[in-house]
Amino acid sequence: MMRGEARSYAAARKERAADIDRWLTDLFRTATAQPYGRESRSGPGAKSGTPGFDRTLGSEERGIGGPPGAGTGVALVAVGSLGRAELAPGSDLDLVLLHNGRDDVARIADRIWYPIWDSGVGLDHSVRTVDEAAKVAREDLKAVLGLIQARHVIGDPELTRAVREIVLAEWRAEARRRLAELREAADKRAESAGELAFLLEPDLMDSRGGLRDVQAMQAVAAAWVASAPGPRVREAYELLLDIRHGLHLVTARGTDRLVLQEQDAVAGTLGLLDAEALMRRVAEAGRTIAHAFDATWRTVDRLLSGPAPRGRRPLADGVVEHGGEVVLARGINPRNDPVLVLRAAAAAAEAGLPLAPATVSTLAAQSPAMPVPWPDEARDSLVALLGAGRAAVPVWEELDQAGVIVRLIPDWERVRHRPQRNPVHRFTVDRHLIETAAGAASFTREVTRPDLLLISALLHDIGKGWPGDHSTTGEIVARDIGARMGLPPADVEVLATVVRHHLLLPETATRRDLDDPVTINRVAEAVGSREVLELLAALAVADGAATGPAAWNSWKAGLIADLVRRVRSVLSGTPPPPAPTLSPEQAALARHGGGAVRVTGTSVTVVAPDRPGLLWRAAGVLAAHRLVVRAASAASAGSTAVIEFSVVPEYGTPPDPATIEADLRLVLAGRLDIEQRLARRTRSLRPPRVPVAPPRVNLLDDASSTGTVVEVRAHDRPGLLWRIGRAFGECGLDVRAARVETLGAEAVDVFYVVDRSGRPIDDEAQRIQVREHVLTALR
Amino acid sequence: MRLITAIIKPFKLDDVKAALEQAGVKGMTVSEASGYGRQRGHTEVYRGAEYQVDLVPKVRVEVLAEEDDAEDVIDVIVKAAQTGKIGDGKVWSVPVDTVIRVRTGERGPEAL
Repeated sequence: MMRGEARSYAAARKERAADIDRWLTDLFRTATAQPYGRESRSGPGAKSGTPGFDRTLGSEERGIGGPPGAGTGVALVAVGSLGRAELAPGSDLDLVLLHNGRDDVARIADRIWYPIWDSGVGLDHSVRTVDEAAKVAREDLKAVLGLIQARHVIGDPELTRAVREIVLAEWRAEARRRLAELREAADKRAESAGELAFLLEPDLMDSRGGLRDVQAMQAVAAAWVASAPGPRVREAYELLLDIRHGLHLVTARGTDRLVLQEQDAVAGTLGLLDAEALMRRVAEAGRTIAHAFDATWRTVDRLLSGPAPRGRRPLADGVVEHGGEVVLARGINPRNDPVLVLRAAAAAAEAGLPLAPATVSTLAAQSPAMPVPWPDEARDSLVALLGAGRAAVPVWEELDQAGVIVRLIPDWERVRHRPQRNPVHRFTVDRHLIETAAGAASFTREVTRPDLLLISALLHDIGKGWPGDHSTTGEIVARDIGARMGLPPADVEVLATVVRHHLLLPETATRRDLDDPVTINRVAEAVGSREVLELLAALAVADGAATGPAAWNSWKAGLIADLVRRVRSVLSGTPPPPAPTLSPEQAALARHGGGAVRVTGTSVTVVAPDRPGLLWRAAGVLAAHRLVVRAASAASAGSTAVIEFSVVPEYGTPPDPATIEADLRLVLAGRLDIEQRLARRTRSLRPPRVPVAPPRVNLLDDASSTGTVVEVRAHDRPGLLWRIGRAFGECGLDVRAARVETLGAEAVDVFYVVDRSGRPIDDEAQRIQVREHVLTALR
Repeated sequence: MRLITAIIKPFKLDDVKAALEQAGVKGMTVSEASGYGRQRGHTEVYRGAEYQVDLVPKVRVEVLAEEDDAEDVIDVIVKAAQTGKIGDGKVWSVPVDTVIRVRTGERGPEAL
């Protein structure tokens, strides 16, 4: 599938290696057998008479007789690409002349090296005894990697065997230290050469996901620490070798950097349509290799760091952490739960852990198709995954490799591995999309709808998979995907508008006169509301930053900020939602007075005499019972308050409603210290979390005449509502009404608070104090 | 020969480019620049944080022209970049000793 119709040069490489072997054999025999003074005249240069890489060596050349040099005490060994019989036209020859200390070895070496130099082929050479070779292998990582894959060409096979045995035995014995060294070298290489899959002009050899990563995996396998790369990786490796072969043919040089101007010609030598087809294959191969490379190193880390901690720590419903990876909880059957794959991915990203490879393949193979439209929980999990920021990128890659993403979002196939052939972009389209979403995660506090920000960041360039202006096509596709994801129609419209206009701010800011009211009015008209403007502004920053340094700098940021400021002033925002009022059923409940708790499915209704702190105490009880509050609304009628919570269990089976009710009564009677219970749970359970955007607290003016509106935006976590409410209580405030919403992993909560005398807070000092206090509670 | 440097408002770049092409100028160098003149900076509030904007984004255009053409080129730029409001920018020119086209090694007017 990956290879498609690309031409393979595997046979040519093998043949060239075999030709070189024959030539070396002749050189070696001449050097060891003939009397001094009669130098060999054979060689590729002498043979073909034309310099260049495509010369074929005289396969008809006959050897000069004699049995293989057993017992001669000297052997010629090929390492590097010749050792692996993967010789590209521009590859150097890496040769080691092994000897047992015989005096004339320098003469023999000269008689082999000089003809090679004369022929113009690049040569890396060394002359060593077995002990010397072993010593160099101990000190030099490059040398040991070569010797692990060394191949005997001619001469005394005992010498080659001895070196291989010693070097391999030491490599295995010293695996812990040497593999750490290998890892460090690989990291350094990746840092300087970048990632093969996403670079415009990648280095086929040294990039992350390049040929050297596969060789490193083979070295790990040689240490018996992990299994050798599988067929998909070998296929990707062969493809990269073929591309490198083509590159050498086109440039007539031993270069490994696939520069822009050569890409069309290289595609031609491989029989591919054009550079785009070529780069798509490069990207796919690079991803396959990088992905396998990471999996290999996880195995290495696990084995080398000793036995993994036994424990399993719950992360989400049906998902646990085990030995530094995220796996499914015991007894969980993925066949029954289409959302599980997204829930597991979100839990992994939020904990900053990888999904175990076996878990990913199980989920990919067994998850039932996601119902369309998606259930709310699926959308929430997707948003939580994206909201984890940088940590979402590797998890997304894992899912993408397993084919999960395309099953969830079929339109994704059109942008997968799609290269962007212009000097501004750094990433392929799909990677750019996920990078933008990861970047947008740090702006979730700037917008009223963090979920729409993340989804629109993920889809903003989806239109690039279709012909035409990608903003226009993207709008259509995004509207379709938004509906599939089960967004309400109004949200789908916002999503479509944001995708349609995602370039509006950057383009206007750099090309139009911002002093001209017409410019500002036109943007305001297209945008429509402050909420959409906020989304577009955050998306513009995330998009620019994910595109590349050429697309984003403080110069552009300054222009866009200026435009946003001006447009904001002509747009009015929608006021915060009105304070909730009681529904008839709730009013009926309230009339009964007294205390009552009702648990029906995922909804918990609390009816109690209104008193300060009722809301957050009730929220605390739910948190202590492993229930996550997704939404809540509180309102009161007379002296009775009605609070409606929508909850989901953090993990495991839902707790018994009767115990919740009992605990609630105890808490309201002041006979249960919920704080202590929560603190205990927090200590024992919370996994380390990836960094998220800091919380934000806004006191809104003139939003309500009966109370002060406090808007809190924060990353959701157990007990969040309890913490916020308690902070209000400590400030001497009472929560009259509240609307709590969790969008993905982002909580957007609105509270209507009054002071002890029942009036809004108008003292500026007190407002600052309230804000600070709530922020402290959220830390 | 003269080197003409123009600091203009970013959105005027397209106009200036078109006008220069019309006037027969074959090449130019464009870079993003920031600075201030009489327009000075202003204070603004963005995302809740108040900060002083003392450098205003501008575009810097550089054109090489023969001595005789320089005045015309300057006129073309000024006309195209003008909005009449504060912050329109500046244009200046300086004498240039020598110009060499890297590809061919041509010198002087041939290299323009």
